[in-house]
Amino acid sequence: MTRRVSLARKNLFQDRRRAGLAISGVGAALLLVLVLDGVVAGAMRSVTAYMRTSPADVFISQQDVRTLHMSQSILAVDTVEAARLIDGVAWVEGLRYTSSIVEVPGGGRRSTYVFGYETATGRGGPRQITHGRPPGPAEALVDVTAAGELDVDVGDTVVVLGQPFTVSGLSTNGTNIVNTTVFVRSEDFASLRGPSIAYVLVGAEPGVSATDLTQRLDEALPGVTVQTRAEFARQEAKLVSDMAADVMRIMSIIGFLIALAVVALTLLTATLGKLREYGVVKALGASSGRLAMIVAAQAGWSVGLGMVVAVGLAVVTGAAISALTPNLDVVIGVRSVVRTGLGALVIGAFAAMVPLRRVTTVDPATAFRRQ
Amino acid sequence: MHGTVPLARRNLLAEPRRLLASAGGVGLAVMLILVLDGLWAGIKSGVTVYEDNVGADLYVAQAGTYNFYGSSSRIPASMVDVVSDDPDIDWAVPVRAFFSIVDLHDRKVPVVVIGSVPGKRGGPWELGSGRAPANDDQVVVGRVLARRHNLDIGDSIDIMGRRFTIVGTGSDAFMASFVFMTHGATDALLAAPGTTSFVLVGTDRPHAVRSRLVAGGYTALDRDQLAVNDFELIARAYSVPMRFMTGVAFVIGSLVIALSAYSAIADRRREYGIVKAIGGHGRYLFGLAMRQTMMIAAAGLLAGFVLFLVGRSAIVWVRPQFTVVTTGTSLARAVGAAVVMGAIAAIVPARRLARLDPASAYRGA
Repeated sequence: MTRRVSLARKNLFQDRRRAGLAISGVGAALLLVLVLDGVVAGAMRSVTAYMRTSPADVFISQQDVRTLHMSQSILAVDTVEAARLIDGVAWVEGLRYTSSIVEVPGGGRRSTYVFGYETATGRGGPRQITHGRPPGPAEALVDVTAAGELDVDVGDTVVVLGQPFTVSGLSTNGTNIVNTTVFVRSEDFASLRGPSIAYVLVGAEPGVSATDLTQRLDEALPGVTVQTRAEFARQEAKLVSDMAADVMRIMSIIGFLIALAVVALTLLTATLGKLREYGVVKALGASSGRLAMIVAAQAGWSVGLGMVVAVGLAVVTGAAISALTPNLDVVIGVRSVVRTGLGALVIGAFAAMVPLRRVTTVDPATAFRRQ
Repeated sequence: MHGTVPLARRNLLAEPRRLLASAGGVGLAVMLILVLDGLWAGIKSGVTVYEDNVGADLYVAQAGTYNFYGSSSRIPASMVDVVSDDPDIDWAVPVRAFFSIVDLHDRKVPVVVIGSVPGKRGGPWELGSGRAPANDDQVVVGRVLARRHNLDIGDSIDIMGRRFTIVGTGSDAFMASFVFMTHGATDALLAAPGTTSFVLVGTDRPHAVRSRLVAGGYTALDRDQLAVNDFELIARAYSVPMRFMTGVAFVIGSLVIALSAYSAIADRRREYGIVKAIGGHGRYLFGLAMRQTMMIAAAGLLAGFVLFLVGRSAIVWVRPQFTVVTTGTSLARAVGAAVVMGAIAAIVPARRLARLDPASAYRGA
């Protein structure tokens, strides 16, 4: 009976405490990359929530303005009527918008986006109101997460754009890592900030695609930017990813370098302590290539198990961070896991080179020497 | 003859490659802590760059305004005349400030647009090259923006549907560049003639002037209030991820030290068995483990400082929008972190030594 012995696995796991330390080290380094990726993915999801869930098929904004976050868009009020005349348009609605502060008199405050929308249709408003009702005159909808942080409820007073508003209800999915959202009546907004509108929301007639409608509006309305809902959300997500890209790259490089050092250390310790065994294997006829494969397999085990630990920890840590910090959404996505896993494999391959020379040059005679 | 054998040191130095890999791992963790600390300090110093340089003592704004960045303050431009009536005011100018996103080379670039009256305060306070905007079609862009996107004097840049000619390069804000233009240009961009964001005030008696403005129903903030509020705004976005990364870096450092010291002990258990067989007691063995982990921590700390210097230069060179500030506090924190890492990491190898059978000295390895 012949039976193969996985020398790589046995070598690595003979001392479980050492293996545990090594795999935890690799896992922690990869955790850095995964969670940071998750924070950016979560920010993208929450920042794009408004447009992703909007009933509008097309968004019109000021020329060259393609985003909502950190953006100013000013459109003439007659843009609404001009858009309504275009063939294929089912409905049109102006949306007023600016950034501001929502504060509780004598309490806390949060940076917010303020939306002025037509409460009769609700198209520019939040998709879900968990408590209360849409705002009436001098009333506002506050996002439920911010309401919790500010300790306000329906009926309480908040100050927005320097004016007091009574909270008429609580909306959802409007708070992100930086700010929250407050919805007021379009008329209230206009009385505080003037008649201009920021964006125009357009619904397509049945059978008219958003792309076709975008093209028609673009041709008919000069000096504005027309985007489909999907493109608007994509541009918004791109803003987050472009802004986070540099930080992500720096932190990912450091995370992978740490993982590289830990895997190299693991392989080195696993190899040095077993040089005699490698000598035995070589004395039994194993080629240098076979010994190299053992080291590579050890690297694979270290990285693979480190990755499993990292994913598990990332899911748990992400959930904990989101629970403790409601404005921070951590999303551990499959693409992020695959990308980090591939990166980990590359660093595993590099790390394997460290003990390779020592193993391939081992003298078979060491098998017969007493240490 | 009586002498002591530096067992911990000899054991560690017996395998220099392992020590090097350990120092590298711990060093990278220390470097990460230092980089994060440095970025945080950079945020703090960079967030008030406008207020620090523009020379205003007070900022009069719309009620409910707390920040300079990201504020939507809109007040009548005539507020300048109202404010100027105060006898203690040396100068008062209108300034418009808002964020905008510019598309450059298929990237979304956040900029802070500053609109000021040509020849008056509030505009670019220093120019790297060129001159200040003189008419509504001209801008001065931050040096980092110009460098990253190969923008030069005479080039064009599109902002919110209008084309501007770059006439100079100036300062940058934190992770975003300033774009200085005339106040008139911002009036047109926002379709808001006759309004402004802030009235900047210069006075020798800021407290008295502020009290009078507030009593008159106006909102007036000083530089320190804006600094605190702007930092709070940014800290909200960055503090949790940064604290998390610092915590993970600390855990990694501890694990690497523990792994290295544990391996060094496990691989030489026969020698340690001899030490135990000839009377090495528990406290001595714990001290031995602690010395090893502290030595690795020290090597890691040294490596961390070197890696940090290299890493900081690389980050600032490749991504000049980041400011990595080194402070005595951050260096002390790194040393403290390394010491605590070493102390925590000693637990695992110390337990291994405590359980070591002295008879292992007589067994083959």
